[in-house]
Amino acid sequence: MNRFLVYIIVLLLSSYSVSAQDATATTEQLIADIFEQYTAESEETIDYDSFFEDLMFCAQNPINLNQATREQLEKLPFLSDIQIENIISYVYKSGSMQTIYELQLVEGLDMTDIRRMLPFVNAGEAIDQSKKIYWQDLLKYGKNELFLRLDKGLETKEGYQFLPEEDPNSAETNSKNYLGNSLYHSLRYKFHFKDRIQFGFTAEKDAGEQIWGKTHKGYDFYSAHAQLNNFGKFKTIVLGDFRANFGQGLVLHPEFGMGKSSYVLNVTPHNSGLKKFSSTDESNFFRGGGATVRLGKFDLSAFYSNKMIDGDTLNGTFGSIIKTGYHRTLAEMSKKHTVNQQIVGGNLTFTFSNFQLGFTAVHTQLDNRLEPDKTVYNYFYFSGDKQTTAGIHYRMRLKKLNIFGETAMADNGSMATINGFSFSPLSQVSLVALHRYYSPEYDTFYASSFSETSRINNESGFYLGAEVRPFRKWKLAAYADSYRFAWPKYGIDAPSIGKDYLFQADFAPKRNIAMFWRFKFEEKQTNLSTTGAVMPVVVPLQKTSLRYQLNYSYGNFSFKNVLEGNLSRQGDASWTYGVIASQDVSYAFQTLPLKIDFRYQFFDAVDYENRFYSYEKDVLYAFSIPMYFGLGNRYYLNLKYELNRNLSLWFKIAQTVYADDRESLSSGNETIPGNRKTDMRLLLKWEF
Amino acid sequence: MVVFDHFLLFITIYLLINMKKIGLVLILLLLNELIFAQISAIIPTSTSIANTSVADTKNWMAFDNPSMLGYVDNSEIGTQFENRYLISELSTKSLQVGIPTKLLNAGLSFSHFGYSLYHEMMVGLGFARNFSDKFAIGLQFNYYTVFFAASNSYRGAFLPQIGLSAKLSPNFSLGFHSFNPFQTNMKTEFATKRLPSVFSLGTEYFFSPELAWRTQIDKEVSSNYRFATGFEYQMLQQLSVKMGAYVSDYLVPCLGFGFNGGKVGVNLNCELHPLLGLNTLAAIKYRFISR
Repeated sequence: MNRFLVYIIVLLLSSYSVSAQDATATTEQLIADIFEQYTAESEETIDYDSFFEDLMFCAQNPINLNQATREQLEKLPFLSDIQIENIISYVYKSGSMQTIYELQLVEGLDMTDIRRMLPFVNAGEAIDQSKKIYWQDLLKYGKNELFLRLDKGLETKEGYQFLPEEDPNSAETNSKNYLGNSLYHSLRYKFHFKDRIQFGFTAEKDAGEQIWGKTHKGYDFYSAHAQLNNFGKFKTIVLGDFRANFGQGLVLHPEFGMGKSSYVLNVTPHNSGLKKFSSTDESNFFRGGGATVRLGKFDLSAFYSNKMIDGDTLNGTFGSIIKTGYHRTLAEMSKKHTVNQQIVGGNLTFTFSNFQLGFTAVHTQLDNRLEPDKTVYNYFYFSGDKQTTAGIHYRMRLKKLNIFGETAMADNGSMATINGFSFSPLSQVSLVALHRYYSPEYDTFYASSFSETSRINNESGFYLGAEVRPFRKWKLAAYADSYRFAWPKYGIDAPSIGKDYLFQADFAPKRNIAMFWRFKFEEKQTNLSTTGAVMPVVVPLQKTSLRYQLNYSYGNFSFKNVLEGNLSRQGDASWTYGVIASQDVSYAFQTLPLKIDFRYQFFDAVDYENRFYSYEKDVLYAFSIPMYFGLGNRYYLNLKYELNRNLSLWFKIAQTVYADDRESLSSGNETIPGNRKTDMRLLLKWEF
Repeated sequence: MVVFDHFLLFITIYLLINMKKIGLVLILLLLNELIFAQISAIIPTSTSIANTSVADTKNWMAFDNPSMLGYVDNSEIGTQFENRYLISELSTKSLQVGIPTKLLNAGLSFSHFGYSLYHEMMVGLGFARNFSDKFAIGLQFNYYTVFFAASNSYRGAFLPQIGLSAKLSPNFSLGFHSFNPFQTNMKTEFATKRLPSVFSLGTEYFFSPELAWRTQIDKEVSSNYRFATGFEYQMLQQLSVKMGAYVSDYLVPCLGFGFNGGKVGVNLNCELHPLLGLNTLAAIKYRFISR
């Protein structure tokens, strides 16, 4: 009866709430918004390409909630473990969902979560997912997409300015300059048939890389991939470039994992298993093939990769793996593809009702020996030409309690372990606790899990997170994390401790208005930069910030305001401040297939420690989180125009202008004279 | 750039000393060092108390938030005189005309600062539209000129303005305004004169139809932040009382009165700078209200 009443209410409300169709129209924006929240506190460059592609693929091939596995729902990164468990549990108990609006009956899901889910899920009838595929279906229903992207900076950088041959310094100066032109260009083709068959290729040339000349011919980076899903016993087959993510990421997770963010409950990595790689990230992927076979309650995965990586090799050794993917100068070219890396790995996972147990192992072999230039902080970093790592991961649900974790060991005997639990004592309250210990000696190639720094090494810590919905329209989220580095870290010449807190209050008074306040405090140790002492002098670095963000929309217009201030100080020095404020306006024309985004932003962060990272809208597949420090303004105009049903065009122009009397920007070959930096981007998408 | 401003100031001071207005020289020195009014003097102070005009939906002012032009229902003409610290050489005079049309509202603005030997002038053509009384967007194109006594010549530059006003509820509005958003400066053979580039955000809240409360943050890119707040109370149908304050380097209290005689509105505002003294402005506006 209760359920029936909810149906009626939901159906009445459905004209008011966002319809699935509306949501699909804004999927691209929704994905960008999710990513923004996901990475708001991140200072790392994160592969948006893969993130976007995975979610876009979900939008094109929605997950059937009545057949959804945990693995499939994990593809929606905004869902917490508790929410995923609750959805699965609801479907199990109720038999099936009649409509996606029934999601309102699932504990721990509010309208914001449901609106976010709408483009990516449906509640259809169960279908045979391993149905035979015919060639004619492939040709008729398969979708092809071709993307062409061009980027150009309008100011001429130092690296493109050559001295005339008559100049006596020309030979030396010109040899350090970029070999190619200043255009960034990428081309990618993708094909998919439902969620069963995917293949494609990517070619890319970074700005400054030579596309046709004495040093290099063709694109600098090529990638091709193929993935087959649900073919007989084979759950997945990948060929070409791919990624493999298993467990909590202590052994294998080349993709970025979940870290600290305002999604305080999402602390475990998502996207497990083998999957194709089609991004322009030039380092974090495997090249070869792999397969996952379903054997009853067991999933067995195995893969092999063989690829060339970049390193500064000398006499059969090299100091570090270069992951930038830049091959613009003679010096960078000399380090390109100098080391061969072979990887073999696998995973065996047993799933039974509310319990899952898995074993992952990976072995890496290099043809040159990795020998980092050892100092104190990197004393325990891996050196050698082969490494084996293995780990056991588990997950289980005991009533409302979800317990999860992974413990891994490297062949040097070092250990890493992460264990946690999450539960929801009331539907309005969700809690998570997570402990981690990564030995200083544990240093592997592909680990990515919950940590303060990007390296899974030399850290122990305890994290607590809570999400509470005390009243209608309000959501409160908070986390506290306390951690310790038992050995010196980069920039911290002594064992140290740190802590950070986040508190966020979200308020949505109306359907077209949403706002939040986010407070963050962080304290960690750093080297005192002004000291010349022989012994390390480590002092606390404190940072605190408060951000207010307001989003509202009227008809085809949508607006966003951000106001953020921060304070920072090192040791006993005085506090320094930073301020950033912006106004965004977006408009979707009614009579034209055109959408415009405009932002005007002001920033004032004179000290580097007060720097800001602020997400901005971009062309499809691109995602910008520029860093701001100094004093100035930034503004951009972003256009999307659908030329016809098959052809779409994106264009962006952005400029930053500094008002702090600087006479040049950036350094080295990237130096720009003056105080302005202008960038343009163009992307063309052809669907057929 | 700053050197150029100081050079101009030096000429002004030299001439003024010759005119034996030594007290004025000291004030000018303080002006240059202390407040961004010096760089922004060409932008008239608004009649909204404490210059909290960015979210003032009832009042469009020349060279302030151009989106407020979108709320203009009847054609209007207005003029204003700001007697900065009771020194006529530092006064700003302005004139504005607003014309509503079905598609867009248009506004013409003019402002003059200074005196015969040093003066700045600006003329602007603005367009704004009110979208169902929910929000308004405005854009203004200004041409700015400055007279250099040393070369006996004028120099000019185009300075745009953008503005937005959004009524989030019947009682609460937000305002955003940027004057010279692209930080256009004026380059001469010898130096660059920095022109004001101001970023403003503000709110307006009506406790009742008679009582409005406004807050505002301004940042002229090369000056200090300015925080302002003010109340305006419509005491009688014909009389409103205004009080507020702003803080930049100093806390400056402000008081004002508004007289509303139907088609004619008069505003008198004053502010008391602790160091520089009294700043007063008077404005009169005529609205072509058809009855």
